[in-house]
Amino acid sequence: MSAGPSTPERPRNLVAELTYRCPLRCAYCSNPLDYERHREALGAADWGRVFREAAALGVVHVGLTGGEPCARADLPEIVAHAAGAQLFAHLVTAGTLLDRAGLAELRRRGLRSVQLSLQDSQAGPGDRIAGTAAHARKLRSAEDVRALDMALILNVVLHRENLARVPELIALAVELGAERLELANVQLHGWALENRDALLPSREQLEAAARAVAQARRERRRPELLFVLPDYYADRPKPCMGGWARRMIVVAPDGRVLPCHNAAALPGLEFWNARERALALCWRDAPGMNAFRGEAWMREPCRSCPERARDFGGCRCQSFALAGDAAAADPACALSPHHGAVLAARERAGARRPPAALRYRGAARAEAR
Amino acid sequence: MSLPAADFEAALRRVGAQRYHDRHPFNLRMHEGSLSRGEIQTWVRNRYYYQTRIPLKDGLILAKSGDPGFRREWVRRIHDHDGLRPGEGGLELWLALAESVGLEREEVASLRFVLPGVRRACDAYVEFVESNDLLASVAASLTELFAGDIMRTRIAAFRRHYPWVDERGLRYFETRTVQAPRDASDGLAFVLERAKSDADQQRCVAALERKCEILWSLLDAVEAAGSAPRLVPHALLREEAGETFVVLPERAVRTNASGRRVLALCDGARSSDEIAAALASEAEGAAGADPARVVADAHVFLDELERAGAIRREPKAPRGPAAGAPTPP
Repeated sequence: MSAGPSTPERPRNLVAELTYRCPLRCAYCSNPLDYERHREALGAADWGRVFREAAALGVVHVGLTGGEPCARADLPEIVAHAAGAQLFAHLVTAGTLLDRAGLAELRRRGLRSVQLSLQDSQAGPGDRIAGTAAHARKLRSAEDVRALDMALILNVVLHRENLARVPELIALAVELGAERLELANVQLHGWALENRDALLPSREQLEAAARAVAQARRERRRPELLFVLPDYYADRPKPCMGGWARRMIVVAPDGRVLPCHNAAALPGLEFWNARERALALCWRDAPGMNAFRGEAWMREPCRSCPERARDFGGCRCQSFALAGDAAAADPACALSPHHGAVLAARERAGARRPPAALRYRGAARAEAR
Repeated sequence: MSLPAADFEAALRRVGAQRYHDRHPFNLRMHEGSLSRGEIQTWVRNRYYYQTRIPLKDGLILAKSGDPGFRREWVRRIHDHDGLRPGEGGLELWLALAESVGLEREEVASLRFVLPGVRRACDAYVEFVESNDLLASVAASLTELFAGDIMRTRIAAFRRHYPWVDERGLRYFETRTVQAPRDASDGLAFVLERAKSDADQQRCVAALERKCEILWSLLDAVEAAGSAPRLVPHALLREEAGETFVVLPERAVRTNASGRRVLALCDGARSSDEIAAALASEAEGAAGADPARVVADAHVFLDELERAGAIRREPKAPRGPAAGAPTPP
């Protein structure tokens, strides 16, 4: 089942982070806290080479993401390279930069599906999370995607401020003709961890949302609804990225090849750059890729755990953030000696209190100046 | 805190009001007269499988009771379906309906062309009764509370919209307008009497909900068979080492040569039934080809494609009484 470091499994998915630029400032942005320090090092032709090499490795899907990928003027060319490499080209966007003509151009170049982020079902609270007025523009973008016969995937990060509106979000997804609605409970990394108390929901909120999802699933088959309990409440960790460097390749805007979009924030790991080496080498041989591949790195309680083949020990970034050690068991797991940090956060989340102030993406750097 | 009997009964009836299959789009279309002859045939052929499971289910229920009085009452249901002599009973009447709608009696009775989704739904009902106690099993049968009305609606709809089905074919429905309310009132009395605790009452409501789901998914499968699948415009067909992958957002469906043939026929003009029949006739003559197997495999694959979001199925426009569904070879 688990491959040794020298024989990684076939990757299926390429996450192409084209840029960290973004007009939104979401309080749970998954880009690194120091995103502004990284330059965009890959041109469209470089991305084309990355896509062809990824396809040769077995990759089927490419997610063009960011930041906001539509901030790049050469996006149509990049899409054409993805389609030319026989990859399923999927755009992950906030939907505020392209009009219908711009999307139609991407469609012509081979784009097949669009994942549009929504922050809420309502403009007021949605724009509050995004740190800018974006909601109305996003709804127009959803209509454009459907009008152009592309698959529309809606992605909403759920947290304590919007969980109560899951029924409205589902109704909105139906109305917009979405193929799939991803109700993604907030992952507490990076900016979101900075805002944990403002974002972490209570168990009651989650259970109410889960009931609304179950009800909607009984009523209709489309849109497909994705809803997974956040790991803070699951007592077992999520199989983060489907296992470290196992199924997914992330290429960051600067060309570094990573097992996940946050891995570069872990100390002491050496990753290689797709500008300098073949993608296959960066994937297979970079020391950072092999640091947590397979099971040899695991300690107790993971090493002897029968569930390790399912959850791969959880999330390395969460272990580092909460336990101070990336090789520790994910503290979301009830078997972790550091599980107390998660329990304490849960307890705080159970208390009733007014919405907390948000720290927006970009704000940390502004304060440091 | 358990509910008083009247409130408990109201809760059970609410399940029917909200989830009984009289609200299913296929039944709505049947009753408004917009089903094609082929769709009626598909329904009759497949619903027969449900009919054949009922005596099995009732046999399991009998085996759960140690009360001779209960068994004496309940065994009547088996007699109703199987008759007391060959040539009688509900199953026989259903086969008469099959002939009235233009199907071959032997083909329907053989169960060979039952849709996989229908088989799954009906088997799930028998399995539910197998793995639950007497109370939940009887509660699941309470869809009969709502059956009398749907039978009356159906008889009127057939006389009005499908006059090509002769009166002999409608006898099953007429018999049920009498049997279902009688069975339901026995079953309801039993459940109201036995389910005293809150937990038992909740189990009964859940059992009835589950049963409604089963009836609903039976019709989902029948409806899908008559609907015309079309490949979604964003799907990417990718060849790799002799296999075809239908690549979609977040997933890919792997397929082989006959899957490719199915995909080629997903043009929005042919129904799922017609696609399956086309594959069966193409396979005819091939060594070891079992048409029933080919048809079932085609439906299973179409269902998988639909779940994956690779195809959409729209109900076909009615083709009028002249056009029939393809008879499976």
